[in-house]
Amino acid sequence: MAVGLGHYLTVGAILLVMGIFGIFLNRKNVIVILMSIELILLAVNLNFVAFSAALGDLVGQVFAMFVLTVAAAEAAIGLAIVVIYFRNRGSIEVEDVTLMKG
Amino acid sequence: MNWTAAIPEIFLALSGLAILMLGVFVRREPTFLCSMLAVGALLLTAVLVLGGSDGAAYGGQFVVDPFSSFVKLLVLAAAALALVLSLDYNRREGLARLEYPVLMLFATLGMLVMASASNLMTLYLGLELQSLAIYVLAAFARDTLRSSEAGLKYFVLGALASGLLLYGISLVYGFTGGVGFAGMAQALADPVHASPGLIAGIVFIVAGLAFKISAVPFHMWTPDVYEGAPSPVTAFLATAPKVAAMALLLRVMVTPFGHLLGSWQLLIELVSIASMVLGALAAIGQTNIKRLMAYSSIGHMGYALIGLACGTPEGIRGVLVYLVIYVFMNAGTFACIIAMRRRGLAVEKIADLGGLGRSDPGLALAMAVFMFSMAGIPPMSGFFGKLYVFLPAVQSGLWTLAVIGVLTSVVGAYYYLRVVKVMYFDPGVEELDAPPASLSVLATGTALFTTLFFVFPGPFIGAAQAAARVLFG
Amino acid sequence: MIYAVAVFAPLFGSLVAGLSGRLIGDRAAQAVTILCMILAAICGSTAFVQLVFQGGSPGTVALGTWLDVGQFQAPWALRYDTLSAVMVAMVTFVATLIHIYSVGYMGHEKNPVSRFFSYLSLFTFAMLMLVTADNLLQLFFGWEGVGLASYLLIGYWFDKPSACAAAIKAFVVNRIGDLFFAVGIALVFFLFGSIEFSAIFAAIGQHQNAIYHVLGADFRAYEVIGVLLFLGAMGKSAQLGLHVWLPDAMEGPTPVSALIHAATMVTAGVFLMARMSPLLDYAPGALAFITVIGGSTALFAATIGCAQNDIKRVIAYSTCSQLGYMFVAAGVGAYQVSIFHLITHAFFKALLFLGAGSVIHAMSDEQDMRRMGGIWRKIPATYALMWVGSLALAGIFPFAGYFSKDAILEAAYASGSAVGLYGWVCGMLAAFLTAFYSWRLLIMTFHGAPRADHHVMEHVHESPPVMILPLVVLAIGALVAGFALKGLFIGPDWAAFWAGSIANAPDNHVLAAMEELPVWVGFAPLVVGLAGIGTAYLFYMVDPEIPVRLAARFGGVYRLLLNKWYFDEFYDWLIVRPYFALARLLWQVGDATLIDGMPNGAAALAADGSRRIVKLQTGSIAVYAFSMLIGLVVLVSVFLLFR
Repeated sequence: MAVGLGHYLTVGAILLVMGIFGIFLNRKNVIVILMSIELILLAVNLNFVAFSAALGDLVGQVFAMFVLTVAAAEAAIGLAIVVIYFRNRGSIEVEDVTLMKG
Repeated sequence: MNWTAAIPEIFLALSGLAILMLGVFVRREPTFLCSMLAVGALLLTAVLVLGGSDGAAYGGQFVVDPFSSFVKLLVLAAAALALVLSLDYNRREGLARLEYPVLMLFATLGMLVMASASNLMTLYLGLELQSLAIYVLAAFARDTLRSSEAGLKYFVLGALASGLLLYGISLVYGFTGGVGFAGMAQALADPVHASPGLIAGIVFIVAGLAFKISAVPFHMWTPDVYEGAPSPVTAFLATAPKVAAMALLLRVMVTPFGHLLGSWQLLIELVSIASMVLGALAAIGQTNIKRLMAYSSIGHMGYALIGLACGTPEGIRGVLVYLVIYVFMNAGTFACIIAMRRRGLAVEKIADLGGLGRSDPGLALAMAVFMFSMAGIPPMSGFFGKLYVFLPAVQSGLWTLAVIGVLTSVVGAYYYLRVVKVMYFDPGVEELDAPPASLSVLATGTALFTTLFFVFPGPFIGAAQAAARVLFG
Repeated sequence: MIYAVAVFAPLFGSLVAGLSGRLIGDRAAQAVTILCMILAAICGSTAFVQLVFQGGSPGTVALGTWLDVGQFQAPWALRYDTLSAVMVAMVTFVATLIHIYSVGYMGHEKNPVSRFFSYLSLFTFAMLMLVTADNLLQLFFGWEGVGLASYLLIGYWFDKPSACAAAIKAFVVNRIGDLFFAVGIALVFFLFGSIEFSAIFAAIGQHQNAIYHVLGADFRAYEVIGVLLFLGAMGKSAQLGLHVWLPDAMEGPTPVSALIHAATMVTAGVFLMARMSPLLDYAPGALAFITVIGGSTALFAATIGCAQNDIKRVIAYSTCSQLGYMFVAAGVGAYQVSIFHLITHAFFKALLFLGAGSVIHAMSDEQDMRRMGGIWRKIPATYALMWVGSLALAGIFPFAGYFSKDAILEAAYASGSAVGLYGWVCGMLAAFLTAFYSWRLLIMTFHGAPRADHHVMEHVHESPPVMILPLVVLAIGALVAGFALKGLFIGPDWAAFWAGSIANAPDNHVLAAMEELPVWVGFAPLVVGLAGIGTAYLFYMVDPEIPVRLAARFGGVYRLLLNKWYFDEFYDWLIVRPYFALARLLWQVGDATLIDGMPNGAAALAADGSRRIVKLQTGSIAVYAFSMLIGLVVLVSVFLLFR
């Protein structure tokens, strides 16, 4: 069986769905949410690289590089926010993040 | 490589870095100095934008045209207003740190890049630069639980939204074979090429951008973040990023996907209707004025989207005019909200405004002007904003949108006018403190703009017209 | 440029005084508004002189676009032609004097008066917008602006119920006229496709035969538009039927009466007729209507003026009557003459009102002439000035009123038509009555035995110079404006003077015909005026028993006049009461049960929806992310299904 573009896209789609579900099914820990976001970005990068190879066009790979860079910055900022939240709340349980509503 | 078209952005980036360095090396109280320098940098950037000439840079990834200049000027004005709003508040709340103006500058830089994006990559980079800075700003009051919760929520949901946007971009890239807007428009000239994968990609992109303008159903973060973030940040959040993201949505929908108008029109209509209805209904029971403003901005974005749904130059012109009016009346409202202090402590319940009509007639009058304008009562500017989006909708045969828009305006008028009623007819609990001069000046200025817009709408409409025409080539 | 300064300086003054009056204090607010007005007066007069005497060319001063919606365009622009320039010069000049006078008149107010000066300047600005408008919509903007300002000024003493009622009455009655005016503007737009004067006047020839088909009858479009515009003018200029607000408006401070209800605002209707003269001249039916209403008003208001006892009301009815004269002139096609009378009237009527204000000031706010008398020795300056004003009003040579009133009556006679003759007869009778009530006023106010109590009499004092000086300036105007301006306005070279700003149809030769009248027509008004003065002298000076006996003998007529022909009662019976009854019915049956039901139901629905929606907003990140996902799925499916 030859592995074609369709297979890559399917894996990407599965990763995306896992990432999204990870965000709203997870009731425990904010860190898991950060990991889910990384999963979504992984799906995106997989798509980009697969398309790039299939189209014979380098733009997709360049884009993937940018996504990696931005993801690093995003993770740093995310962790910093989680840290200050923990300082104030004393917990990073997702269910506790419901002070404001209505 | 032609980089001169990006001089305003380069200047803003360099001045952001310079102010950061300066702030580190100045010994005592660098914040006020840095804030003033930042305002100066924003104004100088505006001058550069005005002086710049149209053209493309970086291999066509970055364009300067009347549309981008219009949006940039509006964003810069909104950012400068928000920065001035923060001066007094931050000092009193112990938030006067030099990172604040610097972060504002970088967020603004991201928005400028968004306005000029003519390529999905530029779009993404601008959007992320803006978002990352604003995540930090939302959590800027790092010692209060509410602000850090706002930051956390905005970050998680924002990251999810940009993930969706990116996924959409990857699909669109794969199915059109490029990321440049012009190339995509060419590839999509024949609607037959619209495969399900591409369509999913477009919806993902719309979702990502709709999150930024807080359109339903991607709006859920808005009330919580507005309430939790420090008030000047909320003021910023409610104006500049909305303009930039809406501009991006306009450009993306009209330029590369313009040929698919018939397909995405219904999409935008649905989002618009849902936003107008939710914005009007959910605000009714609110007691916190910042939450009220959150729902109000959801509704306003719904109205603005009516113009996009038309897909005509008149419709786009209406959106741009709406944004101008929205920015100034929102900045003014937040000036009034930030001025709400009792014995030095910030208060933000609507009931706290009771008796303001007697204790501070000037502030109450300004607030009343904004509320009337938001409700769309002539001759305030808000009425003309709505007029300029409803008329093209009727001309394009989108009666449903116009009718629902009018109905939700009526519902909306209820809660806006309730604020006026509280100010003038409810007994005051205790007088509010006198507002600082910066807020009074700003509220007066924006109130004058809002009241007198109807006298001289000409230049704004002319500029918006020129900007809208560019998108249609 | 200086023209624009003349228009906008009052606005600036008004904004400064209104917004920061409390901050900068009364004195500063007064100084700012007055300085702005003086600046405006200088600029306005210069603009006029430049245009008329130094060969300036008429044109427009473009200020920007206002509305640009599809076919409908309304720019902001100031029209600079003789008609506008004359009005600007007059308005700024008189308004400046009244501002100065107000410093003295409002001197005894307990509350800060910066608000008053702000309103005065705002009014002046609106009036200037009205007279300089380059299109009908801008004119309407000024029209409503003066309406608003007059509402604010009449109701200035807001703690006085009668003042509030009068303000509301003025506002409502004016709205009736405005409604017709607005419809007229709309018809102009539909007929000409534009509301800009230049475009309308250029296309006058094309639509002469346009016809409206209403209710089975045909009406010429120009007639309909002309009548509608005149109905608008009737409201503002207090013509018969819509005059009821003017006398009540005397509840406002006296400078207001002088500025608004004598010199400027009420003449807006006359101005409108002159402005629209190119169109009206092709609407003979409308013109006949204008003449009849004008003549009737002139006579009718004069009869009431003879029986009123409130000094300001007498002058108010006199204003009403004089406006009737102006409309007679406009109705017979002599628009130039009506503007001539408008200008001279502005001088002597402002003088009379301000003089009356000076008397009221001296009499400790007494306005009833029956409680005055015997004070001419104590306030000689005011007395002399009132004489000048009355002589001008009565049309005695060589005062200003002589020239303009004479010209109106000559024009009416010269028109040769039946309505013209009707206008002339009414005018002659009114001229007699005018002289009569003027001297009745003078004699009752200043002569005879003092009828006020001694506290008031001890307190009678001449007004301060700040009040007298403007009066002197106005008196000079009332003295010389007539023969100074006659040559320009209606002399042989009138066509060069007006330079097309007032247009006459080719077959309109009224002004030429005026030159060829029998001599007695020219002298008749003067004779009649002198007779009126003589009668008044006989009635009130020589034998004060005569009017008492007459009133007893003809009780019915006297009561009719005293009660202003029962107009208010008639309207009360015809409109107000049935309206209240209908309103009560609609309120109890229609509103309370039917209409309230629907919004209340809708409101309950909205509140319910609100509760449900807010419940979704749980604050949990998971729910928020889930809603985004649902939204995404729904949108993708919608897109895929309906593309």
